[in-house]
Amino acid sequence: MDFNPCMKHKVVRKAVRMFAEAELAPIAHDIDRDARFPWEVMEKMRPLHFFGLQAPKAYGGAEMDTISYAIVIEEISRVSAAVGLCLTVHNSVGIYPIVRFGTEEQKNRFLPAMTQGERIGAFCLTEANAGSDAGGVETIAVRDGRDYVINGTKIFVTNGGVCGTALIFAITDTQNPQRSAAVFIVEKDNPGFAVGEIEDLCGMRANPVSSLFLEDCRVPETNLLGRPGNGIKIALETLDTGRLGIAAQALGLAQAAFEDSVRYSKERQQFRKPISSFQTIQNYLADMATEIDAARLLLYRACAVRDAGRPFGAEAAMAKLYCSALATRVTNTAVQIHGGYGYSKEYDVERYFRDAKVTEIYEGTSEVQRMVISRAVLARRT
Amino acid sequence: MLKLVVCIKQVPMVSELPWDPATGTIQRDLAEGMMNPACRSALDAALRIKEAAGGEITAITMGPPMAEEILREAIALGADRGVLLTDRKMAGADTSVTSHTLARAIEKACPGFDLILCGFSTIDSETAQVGPQLAEELDIPGVAYVNELEISGRTVRMQRFTDNFLETLEMDLPGLVTVTTGRYAPRHVPLGGLQAAFAGADIVSLDAAAVGLDPERIGAKGSATKIRNVYSPTAGKKNIVLTGAPKRIVEQLFERFDDKIGGAIGRDLKTERK
Repeated sequence: MDFNPCMKHKVVRKAVRMFAEAELAPIAHDIDRDARFPWEVMEKMRPLHFFGLQAPKAYGGAEMDTISYAIVIEEISRVSAAVGLCLTVHNSVGIYPIVRFGTEEQKNRFLPAMTQGERIGAFCLTEANAGSDAGGVETIAVRDGRDYVINGTKIFVTNGGVCGTALIFAITDTQNPQRSAAVFIVEKDNPGFAVGEIEDLCGMRANPVSSLFLEDCRVPETNLLGRPGNGIKIALETLDTGRLGIAAQALGLAQAAFEDSVRYSKERQQFRKPISSFQTIQNYLADMATEIDAARLLLYRACAVRDAGRPFGAEAAMAKLYCSALATRVTNTAVQIHGGYGYSKEYDVERYFRDAKVTEIYEGTSEVQRMVISRAVLARRT
Repeated sequence: MLKLVVCIKQVPMVSELPWDPATGTIQRDLAEGMMNPACRSALDAALRIKEAAGGEITAITMGPPMAEEILREAIALGADRGVLLTDRKMAGADTSVTSHTLARAIEKACPGFDLILCGFSTIDSETAQVGPQLAEELDIPGVAYVNELEISGRTVRMQRFTDNFLETLEMDLPGLVTVTTGRYAPRHVPLGGLQAAFAGADIVSLDAAAVGLDPERIGAKGSATKIRNVYSPTAGKKNIVLTGAPKRIVEQLFERFDDKIGGAIGRDLKTERK
C-alpha cells in the first residue's frame, strides 16, 4: 500500500492549480456575485482537454485515470466550485454514459463536439415529482415510426443554461414506468427543446442551473442510449461515477476554506497576538486538517477501485457522503474563524459556505448515499 | 530539421521557499518544485519555432530525480524528448560547474544541435550566468536577455531591450540564446499531453559516468564558489528628527545621508566634501 501520490498525480495537480490560479482566481468572486458563466475561461480550457478528461483518445479525450480526474475537479473547485461543477457534470454524467452505453455511431456523432467543449453536457433526471425517486419520472417518450417524441419538464439541470447536449431520462410506457425508463440524447438545436429560466440559488451561482422543456421534441431512434428499459441501470451507473466528481468538488471547497483559515488566523491579531496562537483556533484547524485528509484518502481509494475495474458504488457513496458533509462543516468553521469578516462578501469563505451545502443534496442526497452504503453493508454481512 | 535544445530547471514553488539557515541553501526536499518561469518562456519560444518551421526539441535538466517532473511537463507541452542529468556527485554545483556539466551532456546527448534556448535567469538564485557560460563552454555565440527571436536559414534574428532602447541582433547557428519572460508567455499544460507524457515518453537519465565527466570538475567539489550566507533582506522604518537651526539641519542631512543623496544626483559627495 503506497500512500504517496505518484509523479503523474503530483504534476497533474500542479498543472491544474497553476491554470486555476492564473485564469480563474481573478474572476471567481465576480462570477459568483454576477451569476455569470465564464465563457472566456471555457475557451481556454477547451484546448487543454478539460472537456474530455476521461473520454477515450479516439474521440478527442485525455483518457485520464480516475484519480487524475478527481484531482482536476478538486483543484478547479478549490478556486471556483461553480466551474468545477460544470466540468464534473459534463465529464461524468454528460459524457460517460455515451462512452459506456453508446453505439459506435453515437460515440462518433456526439463525443468529439463534447470532448472539445463545443457542446457542454447535462444529465436530466430531476423533475417536479422525481429526484431521489427515479421511478417518479413523468417525462414521456412515445415512439412514432423511426422517431421518439418526447414531452416533459426537467428541473434543476446543472449546466442547463449552457448545455449543448442533454441526456434526457424519460419513460416510454406510462403503464410500466420503471421497466420502460430510457435515456435519450437530445441536442440544444433540436426543435421542441427549450431552456427555462436560470434558477436563483444560494450557491454555485456561476453555473446556470435551469429547467429544460421538451415539447413534442422529436429525436431519431438512433438517439436512444442503450435499449428502452435500460434507463434505471444507466442512471445508477452514471451516478456512481458522478458522485466521485461531486466528492472531489466538495473536497476542493473544503481545502480552499481550510487554506484561507490558516492564512487568516496567522494574520488576524486579537489581544495583541495572531488568533492562530489561541488553542481554540488551533483545535479548529487541527480538526479541519484531519478530516480533509481522511476525506481525500476515502475519495482516492474509491477512484482507485474504479480504475481497478471493480464495483465501486458503495465506495463512491461513502466518499460523496463524507466529502460533502465535511465541506459543509469545514466551510462553516472557516466562516467562524474569520468572524464578522467571514460573513462579509469581501472574503471568499462566505462563498465557500454557500457553495458547500448543495454538495450534500445533488448527485444523490446524503440520505440516498446512506441507502446505497447500507445496502452494500447489509448484503455483505450475515 | 532544426535541432533545438531547451535547458530547463526545476525551482521551488514561489509560494514556499524553505531555506536552510545553517547551510545557506534551499531545502529542496521540502519544497514542491515547478518549472522555472523563464525556462517556460524559453520552451515556448522553441515550440513556436517548431510550430512554424518544424524541428525537434530536446528538453534537458540537471537536478535531483524529482526533476523528471518538468521533463514530462515539457514533453506534454510539445518537446520531443527529455534528458535528465542526475547524480549525487553533481549536487552543489555553482554556475560555472553547472555550465560545464550541461555543455558536456549536450555534446553527448544532442550532437549537431542548432540552437540552445535557456531562460534568462532562475527565480531561486537569480544569477543569470548559466546560459552565457554555457555558450562559452561550447564555444558558440550566445545572446542573453532575448525578448523575441526568429530563424531564417542559418541566421537567428533577435530583439532585446537594453536600458531604454531596443536592440536587433543577428547570430549564426549554432548558437545560444537566453530568453526573457516578456514576449513568450508560459503555456498551460494540456491534460491529454500530460497523460501521454507519463504513458510513454522518450526520457534518458544520465549520470556523471555516462556523460564521461571528471568527478573532480563537477558538483560542490569542482565549484570554485561557495555560498557563505543567504538571508532575507530586512526592511525597517526609523524616524529621525533633526533639530537645530535650518543651516545645521541641512548640514546634518548631508552628513548622515551623503551616500543616498549623492546616489540620487549621480555625484560622490563624500569625496567632494573632503
